[in-house]
Order: sequence, then structure tokens, then C-alpha cells
Amino acid sequence: MLLAELVNQPGVIAAGEYSYRGDRFSYKGEIDDEMARMAAIMCRATSMSEHMQVGMLEQFCPDCGGSPPRGWIVRGPMFTVCNVANVFAFLHNQAASLNDVMALMQRRLADAPTDLV
Amino acid sequence: MAELSELMALPGAVAAFEMNDRGELLEHKIAARSDLDAQALDLLGHMCVANIAIATMQARGWEAVSDNKGFYPINGFTLVGMDWSAVTNGHRCVVLANGEADYELAYARLGVDGGET
Amino acid sequence: MIKRLLAIDGVAAVCKCRDDGAFVEGYGMMPDEQLEALALFAHEYKRIVQGNADQLSMFTGKSGWTPPTGWIVRGSGMSVCSVGNLVCVLENGEGNLTEVMKELAEVSHL
Repeated sequence: MLLAELVNQPGVIAAGEYSYRGDRFSYKGEIDDEMARMAAIMCRATSMSEHMQVGMLEQFCPDCGGSPPRGWIVRGPMFTVCNVANVFAFLHNQAASLNDVMALMQRRLADAPTDLV
Repeated sequence: MAELSELMALPGAVAAFEMNDRGELLEHKIAARSDLDAQALDLLGHMCVANIAIATMQARGWEAVSDNKGFYPINGFTLVGMDWSAVTNGHRCVVLANGEADYELAYARLGVDGGET
Repeated sequence: MIKRLLAIDGVAAVCKCRDDGAFVEGYGMMPDEQLEALALFAHEYKRIVQGNADQLSMFTGKSGWTPPTGWIVRGSGMSVCSVGNLVCVLENGEGNLTEVMKELAEVSHL
């Protein structure tokens, strides 16, 4: 199970998964139900936005390597949120390796559908 | 703050650019092997500004309703496309080939333009 | 039915898409492929606005944001506006945005 694997990585505070329809989510780690729900809503919104943006880029620069989008990262002073497909992770900047976590997520989610269904 | 040439020296860098507050392209460098062009970078610049703004709103809202601080102010956003990732902070962005992307190093070189907590 | 929106002053194009984003129909002063692109854009934009409304609802703790009714993007000379699964392109100087939004709301519920 990817979520369990992610929260076992050093510095990963929590990991979650959401449906693109927005009707369900699951999570593991040191956040409560309400925070996980909010995190799922935010991550879903950002992924939807990214999908549209990359679609626009594809119109201007067909086959230039952006589409379909695989994920995104938001970096804060202490924490980072990274998202691949419909899975997200909250990392502590000092304790976690963003590169290792991204590599793990990209490896495990390499075949995830990209049509947001 | 890193010069564009320093960003281009990152592993897998295919393009680096500077944008204004609106995302308009000011200066750029594109590796010979890249399919990206100035128009695509200009659009990416607008995406960078849009995503930092969205992430800033999310971090602000998150910290207002939870005890979990450390996201605001946003210090960067990365869009992970199919072949490359666009890593941005402040007025700069570097585009890295996904296979070689070192996100930690890219953020270190882009600095903490957003400010610290 | 959506063709009647073209009769409003300033409306340059109108499109309808399904809930899943598939193009249903489109009319106006632009080629078919642009009408299809407009429908897709409207579908993606609707999802973003839904995400924004969810977050506004969550962060402010106030009701009334969701589900969002529509959206308007105002450009310097043109506007794009949408209600439900309908989207219109309007020439700002030629028409009245409020009138178009009212008509969009009415037609989208028919």
C-alpha cells in the first residue's frame, strides 16, 4: 500500500489519496480527519488547475513534453506538499528527502490514469 | 539569487528563465536539446505566477484554520510534466528533465524569495 | 436552443459541453475546432472554480460558495463567461455582460 510506504519514509508527516470526483479520500499519518479532508480538497483543486494549465501549454507547444501532467510540489519554509496523480504527501523539509519521496511516488504511480476520472 | 546560467548548470536543466510579476518572460536560456521555445516559456511563466498565488492562498487558509504552520509564505512551486519539471520561486524558473531532476538542489539554488516564517 | 444566445448583442460564440467535458454543440464566429477547444476550456475552468469554491467554503466556514453557479473571465476586449455547461464569448464593447449571464442562467436550466 503506497500510503503506508510513504508515511514510513523519513520526514513524511502524512500521505493521502483522493478521488478526482471529490467524493472520497483516505490518509495515513499524523494529521486528523478534518485536516486530511482539507488537504484532499486543496490537492484535488491544484491537480485540476495543473491539468488545465498543461492542456493550455500543449495547445501552444504540442509534444513539447509537458502533457499529460504527472504532479506538482509546493514548497513552504518548513513543510513541502508533493502530489503525483491523486496521491499527496506532506514532508518536513529538514527531515525528508523530497527527491526520494518524489522518485518513490513517480515509480509507484507511473501507470496511473491521467484523465482525472 | 542565482543567475540563469547557474540554474542551467543544474542536472538535467533544459531551460531557465526570469519573469516579471505578471509572468511575462524577461530573460531566458534554452538548451539546444529542448523542444521548448520562448512562447512556451512565457506561458510557463504565467503558470508559475498563477500557481504561486494559488498555493499562497491555500497556505494562508490552511494556517488560519489549523495549528499546522510552516507553509506560508510559499517558497516555491513545481509543475511535474510528462518529461520535465518546471521548478519556480520568486521571479525565476528552471525546467529540469524528470529523470535527472534534483528538486532539493533546484530549490536551494532558487533561494527563499517568498521569505521565511 | 443555445443558438438564441447568439442573438444577444456582443455574443461572438456559444458552446455546450457534457458533464464529462465532451463537446455537444457550438455556434458562432469561430472555426469548429476553436469551438471545441472553448468547450474543453470551459469544462476545465469549471473544475478549477469548483475547487476554489470548495476551498473558500472550507477556509471561511461560510456557506454560499458551493456549488458555484458560473464564472467570468474579463479580458481587455473580450470576456468569456459560463453558467452550468454553457459558455459564451462576448465582445465587451458590443454587449452587456449582465444580460448574457442572465440569459446563460435561464438557458442552462432549460
